[in-house]
Amino acid sequence: MIEVENLTLRFGGLVAVNDLSLVVRPRTIHALIGPNGAGKSTTFNCISRLYRPTSGRIRVLGRDVSGLRPQDLAPLGVARTFQNLELFGGLSVLENVLIGAHVHCGGGLRERLAARPPAVIGHVEHLLERVGLAEFRHAQASALDFGRQKMLELARALAIRPRILLLDEPAAGLRNREIGALDRLLNELVERDGLTVLLVEHVMQLVMAISHRVTVMNFGARIAEGTPAEVRRDPLVVEAYLGQEAAHA
Amino acid sequence: MPPQQAVAALPARASSNLRLGLLVPAVAAVVALALLPVFTSGYVVYVANVLLVYVVLSLGLNLVIGEAGQFSLSHAAFYGIGIYAAALGNKLLGLPLVGCLLLAGVVAALLGGVIGTIALRMRDIYLALTTFAFGEAMQWLFLNWEPVTGGPNGLRIPPSSLFGVEILNDKQAYPVVLGVALLMLGATVVISRSRLGRAFRAVRESDVAAMAMGIPVRRVKIMAFLLSAFYAGVAGGLFATFSTYIHPESLGFQTTMTVLTMVVVGGLGSTGGALLGAVVFGLISELLRQAPAVQEMTYGLILILFMMFVPRGLAPAVSRWVRGRGHV
Ligand SMILES: Nc1ncnc2c1ncn2[C@@H]1O[C@H](COP(=O)(O)OP(=O)(O)O)[C@@H](O)[C@H]1O
Ligand SMILES: [Mg+2]
Repeated sequence: MIEVENLTLRFGGLVAVNDLSLVVRPRTIHALIGPNGAGKSTTFNCISRLYRPTSGRIRVLGRDVSGLRPQDLAPLGVARTFQNLELFGGLSVLENVLIGAHVHCGGGLRERLAARPPAVIGHVEHLLERVGLAEFRHAQASALDFGRQKMLELARALAIRPRILLLDEPAAGLRNREIGALDRLLNELVERDGLTVLLVEHVMQLVMAISHRVTVMNFGARIAEGTPAEVRRDPLVVEAYLGQEAAHA
Repeated sequence: MPPQQAVAALPARASSNLRLGLLVPAVAAVVALALLPVFTSGYVVYVANVLLVYVVLSLGLNLVIGEAGQFSLSHAAFYGIGIYAAALGNKLLGLPLVGCLLLAGVVAALLGGVIGTIALRMRDIYLALTTFAFGEAMQWLFLNWEPVTGGPNGLRIPPSSLFGVEILNDKQAYPVVLGVALLMLGATVVISRSRLGRAFRAVRESDVAAMAMGIPVRRVKIMAFLLSAFYAGVAGGLFATFSTYIHPESLGFQTTMTVLTMVVVGGLGSTGGALLGAVVFGLISELLRQAPAVQEMTYGLILILFMMFVPRGLAPAVSRWVRGRGHV
């Protein structure tokens, strides 16, 4: 579903992503982990065309993305969330998700003019139920607490009806109960709805519980890949994380 | 109910009341407006015409600044283009009124599209400065392109004709001005609620997220400039139907600021706000016309006071008030 081949991106002298290769298989949850600054978000931004790679190739759903613009991904069925929340903060919860359904509101003139386009409004309401925001549909997005804002971003991404979902730290800042709900939702999306998820996450409890495969990055490069259990035992990984802990101490 | 839920639930309940509560007064207002020339003097009708032109100008400026969040300070230029296009369409081509209005809107919109395309490279203060410079350049052109605009002598606008009847005074022009202004108001409401309106707001709130939702951000921005200029052009065309003379002096930054003040006073991003701001502020400025020295100071003062104390404008306060009454 996603094939990254020898991806490199330099910011001036800084090599943010260094010769990274990665294959995400259909209907799996593939986690991308690593210490802060490892290049995970940069990799996401290359896939979603916000950044242009210095070299390397990315194929999504069998298509080379190099000729695509950022707005071409949603129509292909690729949705993403952002590490530092990029909600439409001044708009209502409902309108945020409606805008997520933008590419499905383009049918005829009536559909384009509708404030509540009949083709999508049912799905939008369903998504709000699914992430537990139905009762907040008229609240302003920026007035929600942090956890709900994260769920709103997820609902907005799902309104694209994606086949591929790129999630950048969806559990960061969530409470345990909320992480549990996210865990169930992601499982359901993959098992029942057939989505493919590339997940950047620091909450190891979630990564280890739901990922089929884990790629570990450090200083822009891949240092390990395997099942959650394999990765956990890998000495390079332990060292990367311990090194970070030591640095923090 | 926990407090947060109460807040979330409130607008949902109020909105249907609000719609009914607004329909009756709205219909009454339109009827009263339509009958205005029957009851009042020519001066009142003249003021009404001017206010309606301001309404169309404000609706247009609100689309680009309020809805799409793109700072455009060349509104007066598009307005001027509309006035000259309508006047010249009438004078040189002998176009009937509807043709003049369309010409005014389309010529302004085309230029708006060009400016929008240039504006794609800029944001914030750079965009504001560039559109400001464009406005100044256009005013210079109006002043110096004598064969076409009459330059500093101004341009006499011949009476326009509707279905073979010449429009010679304010009262005759009024039904046209009112009808077109209401049409533009209706169109604004439809656009604002549409997919395009949502795309405007998405671009305003976060263009990175808008792109991720598949919104063609560049095209949407150009569309906002183009539509906004179309409104200004039509407003210019309307002005030309009840005016006999146009001088470039009134087509400069001062006019852009007046319309911007209207939109801010009413409430940026709200169609009702643009309407309200144009009427309230338009009335104030008409009252102050007798004292031009005080006028500019008062504009400045009003703008500052609103920025400080009512940054979201009149619209939210009024809709709260209407909603409150709906509950009693
Ligand atoms: N737009 C940018 N310009 C310059 N440097 C950047 C930019 N984005 C990220 N970086 C740098 O690239 C490196 C990788 O960052 P990032 O991908 O955000 O890491 P992660 O998401 O793994 O924490 C960091 O050193 C970061 O400072
Ligand atoms: Mg990151």
